[in-house]
Amino acid sequence: MMSEKVELLHHNVEAINWNRIQDPKDDEVWDRLTANFWLPEKVPLSNDVQSWNTLTDEEKDLTMKVFTGLTLLDTIQGTVGAVSLIPDAVTLHEEAVYTNIAFMESVHAKSYSSIFSTLASTKMIDEAFRWSRENEYLQRKADIVLERYVGDDPLKKKVASTLLESFLFYSGFYLPMHFSSKAKLTNTADIIRLIIRDEAVHGYYIGYKFQKGLEKETQERRDELKDFTYDLLDELYENEIAYTESLYDGVGWTEEVKKFLHYNANKALNNLGYEALFPKEMTDVSPAILSALSPNADENHDFFSGSGSSYVIGKAVNTDDEDWDF
Amino acid sequence: MAVTTHTLHVGIAESGHDDPSVPEKFRGMGYHELNAVLNLYDADGNIQFEADRQAARQYFLQHVNENTVFFHDLEEKLKYLVDHQYYEPAVLDQYSFEFIKKLSKQAYAHKFRFQTFLGAFKFYTSYTLKTFDGRRYLERFEDRVVMVSLYLADGDQQLAEKLVEEIITGRFQPATPTFLNAGKKQRGEMVSCFLLRMEDNMESIGRSINSALQLSKRGGGVAFALTNLRESGAPIKKIENQSSGVIPVMKLLEDSFSYANQLGARQGAGAVYLHAHHPDIYKFLDTKRENADEKIRIKTLSLGVVIPDITFELAKKNQDMYLFSPYDVERIYGMPFSDINVTEKYHEMVNDARISKTKINAREFFQTIAEVQFESGYPYVMFEDTVNKANPIEGKVIMSNLCSEILQVSEPSVYDADLGYSTVGKDISCNLGSLNIALSMDSPDFGLTVETAIRGLTAVSDKSEIESVPSIQRGNSMSHAVGLGQMNLHGYLGREHIHYGSEEGVDFTNIYFYTVVFHAVRASMLIAKERGETFVNFENSDYANGSYFDKYTDQTWLPATDTVRKIFARAGVHIPTQDDWRELKAQVAEHGMYNQNLQAVPPTGSISYINNSTSSIHPIASAIEIRKEGKLGRVYYPAPHMDMENLEYFQDAYEIGYEKIIDTYAAATQHVDQGLSLTLFFKDTATTRDINKAQIYAWRKGIKTMYYSRIRQLALEGTEVEGCVSCML
Repeated sequence: MMSEKVELLHHNVEAINWNRIQDPKDDEVWDRLTANFWLPEKVPLSNDVQSWNTLTDEEKDLTMKVFTGLTLLDTIQGTVGAVSLIPDAVTLHEEAVYTNIAFMESVHAKSYSSIFSTLASTKMIDEAFRWSRENEYLQRKADIVLERYVGDDPLKKKVASTLLESFLFYSGFYLPMHFSSKAKLTNTADIIRLIIRDEAVHGYYIGYKFQKGLEKETQERRDELKDFTYDLLDELYENEIAYTESLYDGVGWTEEVKKFLHYNANKALNNLGYEALFPKEMTDVSPAILSALSPNADENHDFFSGSGSSYVIGKAVNTDDEDWDF
Repeated sequence: MAVTTHTLHVGIAESGHDDPSVPEKFRGMGYHELNAVLNLYDADGNIQFEADRQAARQYFLQHVNENTVFFHDLEEKLKYLVDHQYYEPAVLDQYSFEFIKKLSKQAYAHKFRFQTFLGAFKFYTSYTLKTFDGRRYLERFEDRVVMVSLYLADGDQQLAEKLVEEIITGRFQPATPTFLNAGKKQRGEMVSCFLLRMEDNMESIGRSINSALQLSKRGGGVAFALTNLRESGAPIKKIENQSSGVIPVMKLLEDSFSYANQLGARQGAGAVYLHAHHPDIYKFLDTKRENADEKIRIKTLSLGVVIPDITFELAKKNQDMYLFSPYDVERIYGMPFSDINVTEKYHEMVNDARISKTKINAREFFQTIAEVQFESGYPYVMFEDTVNKANPIEGKVIMSNLCSEILQVSEPSVYDADLGYSTVGKDISCNLGSLNIALSMDSPDFGLTVETAIRGLTAVSDKSEIESVPSIQRGNSMSHAVGLGQMNLHGYLGREHIHYGSEEGVDFTNIYFYTVVFHAVRASMLIAKERGETFVNFENSDYANGSYFDKYTDQTWLPATDTVRKIFARAGVHIPTQDDWRELKAQVAEHGMYNQNLQAVPPTGSISYINNSTSSIHPIASAIEIRKEGKLGRVYYPAPHMDMENLEYFQDAYEIGYEKIIDTYAAATQHVDQGLSLTLFFKDTATTRDINKAQIYAWRKGIKTMYYSRIRQLALEGTEVEGCVSCML
């Protein structure tokens, strides 16, 4: 496995010059991603311990499973998905962006561990990881995506990546957003919102690069890719529904989650430049969830709440004499 | 796995289905959902204000009414609440039952209704009296108002009636600790904030940790000045390189606050202030860096930096700034570092070889502050010399508090080895409450509104006994300090069709605060006259020698614009004249003043939602604000007084920009003896240079303190949530 990965990256390397930008989107997204840099340690997760204790055992169990599922996806995207896009990058800057994406995916994967270790016992954590290895739908989800990642069609890889970033995560994201709208685990929700903020940009960017790539293809090939996309989405969707049922039937939220899946499947297609698949009435997500999802940093909070998802790393610019002219 | 039908759908009940007064499109929705609809545009691009009104209504129908304990009459209710240890009988015993009944009727006659879902939700979640199991409500809003008034009036029937009138109309709103606790048998303290000095010895540090625990347990934010602690690497008992500086002390405090937070209903919260010229200043700021090591990262403690004028002068000349060892300074000057006037003594200290010092570049220092503010919103800033020049009280102000609006003088304590006090110093506490500017302008008697508020706040000070921290208790009994705040400025300006920060907006702010300070000083004089008692050391204050009044007696203060002149005339609010001030000056000279401090403008979070106000004197952060607080989760709040017609006057703070906000605050600051929490708002296109420019502008305009810096990052085009109000406006 290790040598394969190295192989993947083995191509001619030249020095990257950020002063010669071929595609301004690379620069824009790079700036956005670096400004959005964060680590889970900044969120006071331990403030959720009390709230965690008010959850029923079933809800706790569900939460652990959902987060192990998300950990698996982030692990895939961090160690295989984003990395597999690098050899196909058209510009060096695009490569650089993928390395950032890969790194942040690993940060995300680690965040779930932070959540686990703050809220749950080692026994619960181990059980959840065991569950993730044994759940057939989760494993199948991983297999479907991994299969595309090791293929040799650069555009198909991007489709798989975009669907993962913009669609597959959301069966899991539903849960913390749901809790958040009920004032539970609000600091955990802050972390998830930071992750969503990143994934939104990742899905958007990879989708954008897909569309750029598509421009250079023949009509025949375009048709093939479109079919491929909808087929892959179908395959993932079917599995995702089964996965969702296995998770949420117990608490009775499955139908709500499905709407959320439809909503995000449309978003993923939109990122790839395709029209929506699900009609409006199938995507009417509860306003509480939709509003909780907003990746914008417009949340107001004070010292009694957590640090939120608002602050970003700023651009440092020196002051000069005229600024100090008083 | 057991399958259960239990769900978390709090209040998503069936009601609303056939209620004809509920618009078709909102039928069948729970209040939480209805509230969230507020953040989504309707098909025609209008904000759905009606959804939130329905949310408030459904909240009562679906949740409050059915969870409220029913009593046949007031007598039965009071008896039950006293017998079951909910109400403090001593409060009620000061009045006859007939009077209480009359007062209750007076309150209910106003037919109070919550204007927003968040207002109602916040009241019932955080303020009202609940059964001990936390499941059922024992008070309505009116009951809380009556109980608070009875408590504060302390047996004075007239004052009780006046307080009920001011609070139920929304003109005066006591701060959270008072409004939440007054009259309850099981309660925390009613003081909003505490400020304590820390001195450079282990006894003081140990005692401070104890104070942090004790005060957090009782509620209220606690701030510490760390300026006097010796820097890391400083000698201990003359052995070099022994001290570990301020960071480990911050860690201890942070842990203390979070521990106390587990015991109390309200989270413990704390702030620490450090002087810009303390050698640990960079280490202090780095604790909030995104990439800070876990060992030094400070998550939940708020930071503030005290900056003297000299630092600006050095930055202007692009010179280095020297940082001085507090240990050496105290040895040489015989007083703690915090009590030194750094601007005055700067060059003297630089040239004194006995003081060990390091240097950093002054502009780089300001840039570092801006960088950290980008990443974390901290530090707050206190402009030390501006604060002390404006301070009418003898002594030095060395720090501010958790919301950067309290500015009072302090004295150090001296401890014995067993942590007893050999000298009890003077530490700071403050009781807050705010006027709703719009409703106060509508008041039939503006002066009485201010006077009643000051009397209510004074009662809290008189009735507070913080025995666990003697220096706080001594400070309170010496100073009777209160902090009358203001809120709903932006809401009022919008209602009157005035743009925030415009010439008229700033003019109004100036004349409004000018009028308030007159009545506040007058009220304090009246209390002193009635009781024959002033705050300790009144005789050495600028109030006593009269210099405080110079700026009001030497020049006239009148509205500069027609709009504002008309507004005051129409409201029937008298603008004090020079003669009014001369008379007041003479009365103060004769009778003194009861309160050492009178005004402080807090950021007003929770209480402004209950009161249907915009926060403090800020512009709104968003037309539809997303609020996340510990207990509530995400809730949406429409700007008070805003509708589709006057939308243009409700630009948000990011659009308005820092100059107009600072101009507005500067107009208010000149009439406020303490401080005002000033938050600045930047778009993410701003750089550290923009933040620095704002700080320079604020300092030049005479601003005393700066609270949070907020950065708004809009979603990258293509990644936003469709049709979301707070994302687009």
